[in-house]
This record gives sequence, structure tokens and C-alpha cells, in this order.
Amino acid sequence: MHIVVCIKQVPDTSDVKINPETNTLIREGVVSIINPFDENAVEAALVLKEKLGAKVTVMTMGPPQAESALRETIALGVDDVVLLSDRAFAGSDTWATSYALGKGIAHLEERPDLILFGKQAIDGDTAQVGPGVAEFLNLPIITYVRKVEVEGQLAKVERVFEDGYERMEAELPLVLTVLKEMNVPRMASLRGRMKAKKAEIKKWTAAEIGADPENTGLAGSPTKVVKIFSPPKKVGGIKIEGTAALDAARTVVGKLKEQKVI
Amino acid sequence: MFIQGLTDEYVDYLKDESRLIGYAEGICFPESEAQVQEVVRGAWQKDMPLTFQGARTGITAGAVPKGGWILNLSRMNRIRALRLDEAVGAFRLTVEPGILLCDLQRRLEETAFDTADWDEESLKALARFRESGPHFFSPDPTETTASLGGMAACNASGARSFRYQSMRAHVRGLRVVTQRGEVLSMRRGELVADHGEFSMHSEQGTVFTGRLPGGVPPKVSKCAAGYFLDPSMDLTDLFIGAEGTLGVITEITVGLLPLPKTIWGVMIFLPEESAAWRFIQEVRALQGKGGADLLAAVEYFDGSALNLLRGIHGGGMDDLPVLKERWNSAVYVEYHGEEEPLEQALEELCGCMERYGLQDEDAWIADHPRERERMRLFRHAVPETVNGLIAERKKMHPGLTKLGTDMAVPDERLEEMMRMYREDLNRSGLESVIFGHIGNNHVHVNIIPRDPGEYEAGKRLYLNWAARVVDWGGTVSAEHGIGKLKAPFLKLMVGESELREWMALKRVFDPKELFNPGNLFGV
Ligand SMILES: Cc1cc2nc3c(=O)[nH]c(=O)nc-3n(C[C@H](O)[C@H](O)[C@H](O)COP(=O)(O)OP(=O)(O)OC[C@H]3O[C@@H](n4cnc5c(N)ncnc54)[C@H](O)[C@@H]3O)c2cc1C
Repeated sequence: MHIVVCIKQVPDTSDVKINPETNTLIREGVVSIINPFDENAVEAALVLKEKLGAKVTVMTMGPPQAESALRETIALGVDDVVLLSDRAFAGSDTWATSYALGKGIAHLEERPDLILFGKQAIDGDTAQVGPGVAEFLNLPIITYVRKVEVEGQLAKVERVFEDGYERMEAELPLVLTVLKEMNVPRMASLRGRMKAKKAEIKKWTAAEIGADPENTGLAGSPTKVVKIFSPPKKVGGIKIEGTAALDAARTVVGKLKEQKVI
Repeated sequence: MFIQGLTDEYVDYLKDESRLIGYAEGICFPESEAQVQEVVRGAWQKDMPLTFQGARTGITAGAVPKGGWILNLSRMNRIRALRLDEAVGAFRLTVEPGILLCDLQRRLEETAFDTADWDEESLKALARFRESGPHFFSPDPTETTASLGGMAACNASGARSFRYQSMRAHVRGLRVVTQRGEVLSMRRGELVADHGEFSMHSEQGTVFTGRLPGGVPPKVSKCAAGYFLDPSMDLTDLFIGAEGTLGVITEITVGLLPLPKTIWGVMIFLPEESAAWRFIQEVRALQGKGGADLLAAVEYFDGSALNLLRGIHGGGMDDLPVLKERWNSAVYVEYHGEEEPLEQALEELCGCMERYGLQDEDAWIADHPRERERMRLFRHAVPETVNGLIAERKKMHPGLTKLGTDMAVPDERLEEMMRMYREDLNRSGLESVIFGHIGNNHVHVNIIPRDPGEYEAGKRLYLNWAARVVDWGGTVSAEHGIGKLKAPFLKLMVGESELREWMALKRVFDPKELFNPGNLFGV
């Protein structure tokens, strides 16, 4: 069994400060991390590897420094990593990213049985790349997964909704995007860390994976960003300064009725 | 500044983290050394006992008053000066005693100080400081809301004291207000004892002379059990760890250290406790060879501590990876330094693990701040969970408290000490966890009694252990101090006749025995 996990290196947003004048992120000094949901995807792959003896490959598309994210996953115990890195990929939107990753996966020697993604990246929050790749590879996809088991060629999956979850079964090969509640990512092992430092990282260019220049990078991105702005801060609101909790609650109920909310 | 009588809003000041509750006739919050002098003078005239308070995070009731007035230093919390000691290229910060460790840490991190009252030299030093890369203040008793004054008074230390030593090593100077409100000002290296005799002048011109008690100090790397004594000691050291029995600290100058470039934490899990104790000694022995002198902390968690953590999985500590069933103890080591020698230290550690037949997955590494934070939470979860358990049991039996030891022994006694704890605890059937700073042969045994009978049994065990530890040349307190709660243990360690000499020393500075009554000497 071969499991591929796609990850993204993102700025640690828990660490990001906003420049109050320009309202933009101050990126200096912000450390890069593996997108947290992707860590859950890697963990899910490693758990399956332990159970079923699978091979795990991690792939990322990104600038050369994304290599450090791949090394981190080697320290966690993945078998192989691939970095798709090329100037031609610069400026990719979710469509072009999905295209490139799809090409990269198709270029792997061993066909994957399972392809895992985090539910979304914390810097863009689109949740589109997993489904995009599934589409390019013409594979079935289940999103928002909190649990997966594999028996033979069958995956048993729990997919979460706002108000519940559904149990699904699907045949491999299959694409999944996973939630945080799926697992607790392991810590890197000491020896894994040493191995990671020396590991050879496969680097593939757009040409090597046979990506059409028309479809990659800025040129291949149908999304046009017209304007970036911070949403206006929420202002106002009413503070109910009642002494007794009961009075305060009554006032709230009154207001809600007024607004026809209840 | 002064509040006569203790109204309801001040009752919190009658206790500290030991949860012992005292009593007092008044409380004051001086804002300057001059005001402290005024209070101490007033107390002298009225023969009024004084209890000094920092942030009341102490756990031996050192800041719990037994009558008299409380002198609380929380409003003296300014950073007064910064200097660059050109000779050694080190920065020194002068602070008031009430500043909290967490505030100091934040200021250093952000290099942001309130410089309104700073002199020219401090401002110049600040400019240099900002160009000199990040610095830190190393003593960290994990409870970061402690005050610097309290930390100096107790000679506090923490996990990283394995490499950086306790508070004492970082105090470069002190100002102390002693009897009649007189001020002693000292800087390290300026005034030392001579063959056990000492003599110092107050700024008011009074001469304080005396003879230091003899006796053999414990042969341990960490000690917070009363006076530091040595025939040729620096007199600054007399006031560090004195727990406010000689006077009140009104100003402290501390040394800062450059922040290491790289910090790595490694948590190693072992199947057996006794193997862990040997493993620790081997890791420690690597010290000095190759890169291993970068070792900054060596901590231990016994099997019960791991079980405790397994129990809370899914209960708020969800961020902890699963602990394998076959793990029965854990050792945490932290390395500080430059990347290259660190790699070598890790190679050596790997070699050590191999000799113990450990597998890849038996050692976690944290080289990312985020990962280190996860490991910190792991380590903190142990004492926190114990406290939670005690709080739960207190509901049934209000008299219960945690029984926590704080003893350290010389290097060669480590295994013997651990075996003693393990065998006695197994035999007693008491619930317990053992964790702490094992690199310094210093662990905390926490006995978690289920009922008053067990509480008494635990106390008996504790007393037996203290006697053994003293026999081995150890200390009854390595970091928490003696305060009021552990005074009987100090007596056991120092002996009655020498303790009388200690009292004579105290009376040189405090002839009326007004300062922190009960601390060290008991009530
Ligand atoms: C969860 C927890 C974990 C802890 N872990 C550690 C640890 O790992 N290592 C460690 O060393 N400690 C530890 N401690 C104990 C505590 O944090 C330290 O003892 C600390 O140094 C006390 O500082 P404080 O300001 O709270 O002092 P207080 O509790 O206010 O006072 C402590 C003693 O110092 C005296 N004192 C305070 N200020 C002055 C002054 N200006 N002049 C003269 N005397 C003064 C008081 O009279 C009292 O005797 C821990 C405490 C807690 C609650």
C-alpha cells in the first residue's frame, strides 16, 4: 500500500502580528511551520503505515525553503519526500496548485492507494486543493474526515458535518481531507531527526513532471485577486449592565424578540 | 502605604502557595527603599515582628505572617538600571525586589523598558544591549509569577539550573535593609569573610561583625536550606537564601546571559525505572566529553507520573501524544548551544540509547519552539494533575495536603536515594509520583494521601527519608527553601547546637528577632 500526503509550509499565524498602520501581516521573524491540519494527515498516514505496513510519501509544492517542512516529516517517520519547486510554479492559485500536485503524484513511480490532505491551509483557508487534486486525478474524494480504517481495498471513513457525522465506505484509490480531531500528531523521534538532517530530498521541476506551462504559476491561475483588505472590525454592540443575572437575561431575551431573532 | 488591622480585602496576604494561613496586625506596601527603612525603623521602636512578602508563590509558608506587620514588596517593581560590565562583556540589570519574573522575562524578550528614571549610563548600555542579540535571565522556578526578591531570598532554581546554577550564581549585588532601618549595600567580589570572621558597614556607619558558624555544608549541587556558609565567603551570599531572616532585600543586581542559538529538548522513555536511573548517570557522565557539556537540564518522571498523564488523556490534555504502555519512566534532557556541537551531543545520546536497547520511537525531540512548548506542557501536567487530585480529596478530608519532598543528595547516592523512595513507597501502598531535577540528584516525591491515616503514614516516611538524606551528606531542601513548614527538617540537618550558632549570626543583624519569625528556626 502506498499513501501520499500533500503538505504546505505556512507562516505560524499564532505568532503573526498585524501592522496597525497598514493592516497587513508582519512577516519578518515569523517562523514557518507545517500547516497544522496537514500534520494530522501525516499522522493518519503513519498510523496506517504502522498497522498495515504501508509506504508513506510526502509531497509539497513550494519555494526551496519548503524543504525544511519535508525534513520535519522524515523525522516523524515518512519514507520518501518530494519537493515540487520551480519558478514556473510561483503565484499559483488553488487551481494551478492542484494541477501541479496532480501532475507530481501522477509522476510517482508507485501509484498511491490513498492520498491525504489537511482539511485546509491556515494561511488561505480555501479547502480547495484536496478536492482539486482529486478532480485532476479523477479519483473519488471524501472531505472533513475524522476517522479512517482500511480493510483490503476498502476504506471505512467517518465524515463530519456541523450537526453530526456519517459513516462511509469507499474503494481505494481514494482522496481524503482530514480534521484536527482525527488524531494527536506524534513528536519527531531523535533518530528520525538525525536521519532527516542527512536525507536526500527529491526535487522535481515543472518540466520533469510534464506540467504544461500554460497551466502553472500565475499564468495558469484563473483566480484574479482584485483587492486585499481586512474586514472592518466589528463595532458597537450593547453591554447589558444588570446587577442580577436574571434581569440581564430578561433584557437579552427582550432584545432578541425585538429583532425577531426568537 | 500602611494599613492598620487586616480588613477582609487583605486576607489573601495571610497565606502563600503552601495554603497555610497566618495572622497579622497590619500590612504595608512601601514604594521605595526609604519607605521600607521607615517601616523597619518603626517596627524596631515598637518591637513589632515583620514578615516580608514578595509574590507569595513560596510553598513552605516563608511569607506567611505569624503576627506583627506584613511588609509587602509588590509595589517596588521597577527596573532601575542597566550596565555593561566591559571586563567580562556581560550585561547587569538592577531591579527592585517586587518585580515578577514573568515581567522581567517579557521586558528582556522585547528589550522594552520603562527608561524614564534611567541615568545616562543605563541608556547607553541599553543601546549596546539592543545590538547584542537576545539575552535571558536563567533562574526559572517554573512559577514565573515569583518575585526576584523572593527568588533571591530563597535561592530559587529550576530545571535549567543543572547548567546555569541557582539564583545565587546570578546575583551580582544586593541592597538590604536591616535592624533600625539601616542599609547594607554589597557588590559581589567586594567584601569577603576572613577565616570565618566577617565585618560590614551599613551606610549609616554601624559596623556589623561576627563569626560564621562552622559545620559541614551538604555536598550537593543545589541547596536552599538556610544560610550559605564558608570561611572565605562573599558576604553577598549570606543574604541569598537567608529567607529574609537577616533583613529585607530592597534592590538586586542580576547578570544576564546571551540566549543560546539553538535549544533542543529530548524526552526519552524507558521500560524500567532502575534502567532510567543508570541511564541518567551515563548521560551526565558524557558531560565534558565532546558536545555533551551543552546539557542544560536533566529531568525525570517515574512510572506513576506517566500513568497519571495516561489517565488525563482526553481530559483537557489532548495535545499530548499517546504514551506507550511499555514505557515506565521518562527522562527529559535539554541541550543549549550552537548547532554543530549539538548534533554531536545528540549522536552521543543516540549511542547511549542503543546501549540500553531503546528503539527509535522511544525518544521524542523538540527543536521547534512549538514542539518545545508541547513538551513543557507535558512536564507541567504532572504537578498540576497532582494538585488537582489533592484538591479533589480535600473535599472529603479538609486536613489533607500534598506531601512534597525537595531533597538532594551527592552524585554517588543518586541510585540509592531512588531505590529508597521506590521500595518504601511500594511497601507503604501510598499513592505517589516522583519527578524533578534528577540531574542534580534532586527529585520531588509527591505523596497523594487518600485519607488522614495515609497522610500521617506519609509524614513518617518523609521524616525517615530526611534522616537518610542527611546521613548521606544531602540537603533537606534543594530549591523550595525551609520557610516555616520545613524548619524541623533543617534542625535535623544542621543539628541543635549549630542552629544556635545560626541564631547568633541572625542576631548580629536582627538582635530583637523581628525579621520573618518562624523562618528557618521554627515557631
Ligand atoms: C507551582 C510551583 C512550582 C514551583 N517550582 C519551584 C522550582 O522549581 N524551584 C524553586 O526554587 N521554587 C519553586 N517554587 C517556589 C517559589 O516559586 C519560589 O520559592 C520563589 O522563589 C518565591 O518567590 P516569591 O516572590 O513568591 O516569594 P514569597 O513566597 O513571597 O516569599 C518567599 C520567602 O522569601 C522572603 N522574601 C520575599 N521577598 C523578600 C525580600 N525582598 N527580602 C527578604 N525576604 C524576602 C519571604 O519572607 C519568604 O520567606 C514553586 C512554586 C509553585 C507554586
